[in-house]
Amino acid sequence: MGVLKRTQVLLLGALVASATSHAAEWELSLDLRAVSSDGRESFLDNGQGKLRFDEDHQGIQLGRLRAALDQPLGEVFSAHVEASTWDDDDKNPIDLTEAYLEYRPYPRAGFKSRVRLGAFYPPMSLESRALGWETPYTITPSAISSWIGEEIRTVGLEGQVDWLGTRLGHSFDLQLTAALFGWNDPAGTMLAAHGFALHDRQTTLFGRVGAPQPDLDKPKKELFHEIDDRAGYYVGAQARYLDRAVLNVLHYDNRADPTAEAPEIRDLAWLTKFDAVALRLESGNGWTAILQALDGITIIDPGFWLDWEFDSQSLLVSRRMGAHMLTARYDEFNVLFRGDPLMSGSEDGNAWALAYSYDSGDRWRFALEWLRVESDVPARVEELGEPAFAIESKLELSVRYSLSGSF
Amino acid sequence: MPPSFLKSRNRRLRAVGIAWLALCCSALAQAGTLTVTVKQRNAKPLVGAVITLEAPGLAPVAPISAIMDQVNLAFVPDVLVIPVHSRVQFPNSDAVSHQVYSFSPARQFQLPLYRGKPYPPVVFDKPGVLTLGCNIHDNMLAYIVVTGAPYFGRTGADGQWTSPDLPPGKYSLRVWHPLLNESQELERAVQGGSDSERIELKLLRDLRPAPLKGQPHSWAY
Repeated sequence: MGVLKRTQVLLLGALVASATSHAAEWELSLDLRAVSSDGRESFLDNGQGKLRFDEDHQGIQLGRLRAALDQPLGEVFSAHVEASTWDDDDKNPIDLTEAYLEYRPYPRAGFKSRVRLGAFYPPMSLESRALGWETPYTITPSAISSWIGEEIRTVGLEGQVDWLGTRLGHSFDLQLTAALFGWNDPAGTMLAAHGFALHDRQTTLFGRVGAPQPDLDKPKKELFHEIDDRAGYYVGAQARYLDRAVLNVLHYDNRADPTAEAPEIRDLAWLTKFDAVALRLESGNGWTAILQALDGITIIDPGFWLDWEFDSQSLLVSRRMGAHMLTARYDEFNVLFRGDPLMSGSEDGNAWALAYSYDSGDRWRFALEWLRVESDVPARVEELGEPAFAIESKLELSVRYSLSGSF
Repeated sequence: MPPSFLKSRNRRLRAVGIAWLALCCSALAQAGTLTVTVKQRNAKPLVGAVITLEAPGLAPVAPISAIMDQVNLAFVPDVLVIPVHSRVQFPNSDAVSHQVYSFSPARQFQLPLYRGKPYPPVVFDKPGVLTLGCNIHDNMLAYIVVTGAPYFGRTGADGQWTSPDLPPGKYSLRVWHPLLNESQELERAVQGGSDSERIELKLLRDLRPAPLKGQPHSWAY
């Protein structure tokens, strides 16, 4: 994480140096929850439950306290920092989810480009379109987005080029993205440990996934480390029809050496590759449909080969009527473990979410969500003596107050 | 304007992919008004269509000073029609910065609009349609139509525009609208009358869907 820390120091230095020239924009939001849940012990507490708030974490909870800063550095450079606190047993009480420098020259001759350097999300979720990489449709994102928020972050360099056809009189735009990154070698650890989960708890850059792992034979759940000194990459493409349809594809490969070890985090480099496809359709009268699919594999080789194939699909349908929005979503997720027959790591599950939200358009948002996750996880029997099959459900109210401004 | 103007402008506009519709030579015998009605394919009026009437030898309208503001992360107005050589001021009524750009052949420019820092007006010396965007807020979109026509205007809620008194002569009439499809063709209906000519135009194809509106600002994209 040394380089990342240095990057952070550089970013902050640049922020201070340029604070006088152009206005910085900031956002602050407090999201409080009232939760009723029958969830098994959460994966955040090293359990095999699929929800962020389990049976022991009901009542009033902190959803997220978020602060973001967007600082122009001259005309075409800017710095973005996202900090959050989640009030759980993570390593740091406040930590970053994203921090990057952006270069965004003026579009020329119909082409627009963007370069980002730092730590950020790869462009793949068409539901995570709200500030702070949140979904505006539900409180809890899809299984795919939950996993991306939990295990995936680009710590590296990304370039993006858009052909702005719609600005040239055509009906569509095209976009290509490519990135080189490091510090994501543990990606796959959590998928093998507890499979997919449905939660809005994004893992922070210097933190870990929830509570400390007391079992010294298990990983520390710190995901943004470089282990094998090999860069990973992703390439993606997006096509947009006006502002009505978006199709996004991404191929991700962290090119990790599955034999490399990282004793300081009690983990290995996980060779993780996946393909992701997402389609979003929007109508002029408030309807939105989002279809997402993910298919990948994660591999380790600590002297013997182990791999986990994973896939997930989700379909979301939403109707917005002014400030009101109603959403239904269905998710399927699967992990297929292939390796030591004495170990289990497979799972099979699905989830339904129904949500209503009211967004005042400036400061307040109220959301109510019912989420039901059905999952069959054999590891529950072996590790916890619990039945493999579980139905977990949760009713959650979110009240979010946001402020923004510039200085 | 020389006759080649139409052709060259057509080419240029085709290059930017926006359909102008030229109707040639609607003759007026004596001074009188011309009422143009534009209807969509579904017979609803086409509101806000830009109508220009050009004739050889007639000078463009005198330049004006106009404003293209930024309010609530949107350009205001979304379509601005100005005579050639006009000056347009780009204030910024938002608290946040904008970076306005145009890469349209008629005029390419970029303006960093920071709060409280006015920028000198931009002069538009070439006729054509400019597409404006913001380099920070990708959804912002507006058009500036720069015209050398002696007579122009926009259709109202009833899809109609009526010219002032036109001297006798032959005019070419063009219709532009941001949602017109490229290579759109119109039906034409000219009704007689020596002092009040009426033309009704009907689109043969549907308009493109209008940009989505009312997305919360907290939606980044």
